[in-house]
Amino acid sequence: MFRNNYDGDTVTFSPTGRLFQVEYALEAIKQGSVTVGLRSKNHAVLVALKRNADELSSYQKKIIKCDTHMGLSLAGLAPDARVLSNYLRQQCNYSQLVYNRKLSVEKAGHLLSDKAQRNTQSYGGRPYGVGLLIIGYDNSGAHLLEFQPSGNTLELYGTAIGARSQGSKTYLERVLDEFVDVQTSEELIKFGVEALRQSLKDETLTTDNLSIAIVGKDLPFTLYDGENVSSFL
Amino acid sequence: MTSIGTGYDLSNSVFSPDGRNFQVEYAVKAVENGATSIGIKCSDGVVFAVEKLITSKLLVPRKNVKIQTIDRHVGCVYSGIIPDGRYLVNKGREEASSFKSLYSRPIPVPSLADRMGQYVAAHTLYNSVRPFGITAIFGGIDSDGPHLYMLEPSGTCWGYKGAATGKGRQTAKAELEKILDKETELTTEEAIKQAAKVIYMAHEDNKDKDFELEISWCSLEGTKGLHKFVTGQQLEDAIEFAKKETSVADFNDSDDDEDDNNDANVSSDDEAVDRDGDINIE
Amino acid sequence: MNHDPFSWGRPSDETYGAYDTKIAQAPAFPKMNTTQPIVTGTSVISMKYNNGVIIAADNLGSYGSLLRFTNVERLIPVGNSTVVGISGDISDMQHIEDLLEEMKTENNYDNSYVDDEEALKPSYVFEYLATVMYNRRSKMNPLWNAIIVAGMEDKKPFLRYVNLLGVTYSSPTLATGFGAHLALPLMRRVVDREDDIEKTTLEVAENTILESMKILYYRDARSSRKFSMAIIDNDQGLILKKGLQVENMSWEFAKNIRGYGTQKV
Repeated sequence: MFRNNYDGDTVTFSPTGRLFQVEYALEAIKQGSVTVGLRSKNHAVLVALKRNADELSSYQKKIIKCDTHMGLSLAGLAPDARVLSNYLRQQCNYSQLVYNRKLSVEKAGHLLSDKAQRNTQSYGGRPYGVGLLIIGYDNSGAHLLEFQPSGNTLELYGTAIGARSQGSKTYLERVLDEFVDVQTSEELIKFGVEALRQSLKDETLTTDNLSIAIVGKDLPFTLYDGENVSSFL
Repeated sequence: MTSIGTGYDLSNSVFSPDGRNFQVEYAVKAVENGATSIGIKCSDGVVFAVEKLITSKLLVPRKNVKIQTIDRHVGCVYSGIIPDGRYLVNKGREEASSFKSLYSRPIPVPSLADRMGQYVAAHTLYNSVRPFGITAIFGGIDSDGPHLYMLEPSGTCWGYKGAATGKGRQTAKAELEKILDKETELTTEEAIKQAAKVIYMAHEDNKDKDFELEISWCSLEGTKGLHKFVTGQQLEDAIEFAKKETSVADFNDSDDDEDDNNDANVSSDDEAVDRDGDINIE
Repeated sequence: MNHDPFSWGRPSDETYGAYDTKIAQAPAFPKMNTTQPIVTGTSVISMKYNNGVIIAADNLGSYGSLLRFTNVERLIPVGNSTVVGISGDISDMQHIEDLLEEMKTENNYDNSYVDDEEALKPSYVFEYLATVMYNRRSKMNPLWNAIIVAGMEDKKPFLRYVNLLGVTYSSPTLATGFGAHLALPLMRRVVDREDDIEKTTLEVAENTILESMKILYYRDARSSRKFSMAIIDNDQGLILKKGLQVENMSWEFAKNIRGYGTQKV
């Protein structure tokens, strides 16, 4: 028998100390379409490629606003992303209501991490099957986080998740020094769209399948869809 | 690992015929692959240090902090499955907070160690959960002075003068034994430098990856008994000391950009792609 | 008509007999929470000036009319830019101290910017306390206090009030309890409107607060000579002065004191 006996649930370690169910959940991210995130000193941008089931269907939403200063894009299971973004919206509201305080991006990341971890240590559930890129502008400036179902959340200058995202990441690494210093949001978006292009296969970017979001200094979280993205194509 | 495939290693809380709980042993394996963490107990406090492996140059330097504060006088560092460590620290915080609301004073570190140990041990008793995939080193200063403990996935929790866990633990332990073998106890100021050195030496076991050093301390004088990160000049000095002592190549120097770019390009092809192409911090 | 409010809106006992409380497993008498404070602290007074804010409160804990505890600190610093001044029930104040301590501890968790951008600000502390006070009054179980939060936020003075009813308000000068009657008019002689703040220096504001504390000690029978004062200044930061005393008092016969009573000055 060559069947892997250690991948049936999240409460079984393999003999080498791995958790296969969690690793498989990370694979689910790659089933989703690509999304790119990047940030400069004063701005953070999300760029995403939307998919439609067939010609007649609408495109699946990729970017979700959580508060005036924070939002996220997803790759993987969209329903799981809704669960997590609703949670983040609740936490943003709670912080505003009880403390008159914007939820910091750092804290948002920790909250998501801790929520995801709980699904990996007890029987009967499954890890979340979605990766998230969270952007926000808080008291300490612009931030970008990458969330993984394992409960890891990382702060980066730029990253990409989803199908063929390695192309975007390689591009971002190459132009890192350029985009972290740009002043305007438009320039940063251009880098983002260019990064996204590196992960395309047959698709071409159109006003239908491109989604862009930006947040920054004196700039609340804004989502651009449809005709509003035409200037960035 | 002769018992693999006999079926006794498939579920937590099950003994094998020779009396072992394999799932706990496998959890230890997760720890042994993790980045090195150490703790040193001194005359006037405790010092923690951890190796932070950097798998991509897109990661923001000095962010993605690993060492955590449990209560204001207690710090914690761990190796293994990092999110498990965060969960344990959250439990530790709950214990510390409930103690404070009951008794109106900070929790004594031994009591905290006891409670956290019980919690980790409970995760070896039921098949509905898995053991913690971490070994945690934690400690701080209370009214009885400094304390340092190491807590393993089995729930074993012992006090130490110097503790090390993770991939480079053998090297780190050997170094700690040399450092702590002296007649007089170290002060925290000295221990910060020594801790940096130990992490740099232990990193030799993991040399193909870049890393950042993170140090924190609880000191009677230096931090007024609170758990604080070592930053700025103090951190720079410790790193310089460590480099001099180990003559390790310059890993995280942000000044020489040309070198960095070259290194980073190599690293981005090798490690950043990792197994799955995922960027990760261990 | 039966004038006893307890029998209003009920079937009359003469006709129907007494209400059988066992029907709803109800107690014979409604549940009651705190209906009065026990050990109390008197006024907290505060005012803004052109570079910060001052807050003061005396160190007395009264048990009714008995001056029971003479070393009670009622100004609680929270971080480097906030001071919370509490009057009313002292045990409830001590509970609020615990809440603030917990708030500080939690803000310290995994917060890379704890000493800078994400340090606790006065408005965060105030909003939290206001939430607590309103929630407690809505449970019919209030914390029997009036609270003033003073501090500096984004280089501007912050001053706001909340009490056991969950009512909140702001003003360039604020006082709780007896101070709202005795000290507030004195402080308003100096700072009456928002635009008076700019004209008022630290020295003038400090003297006004000291003078107000003196008047309160003269006329408030539940006050003590010893008091604490905190200055949160944009340049000097938070200065908490403990163990101050009311000075330069005059206990002459009233007829000899100028400006007293009905006499013409």
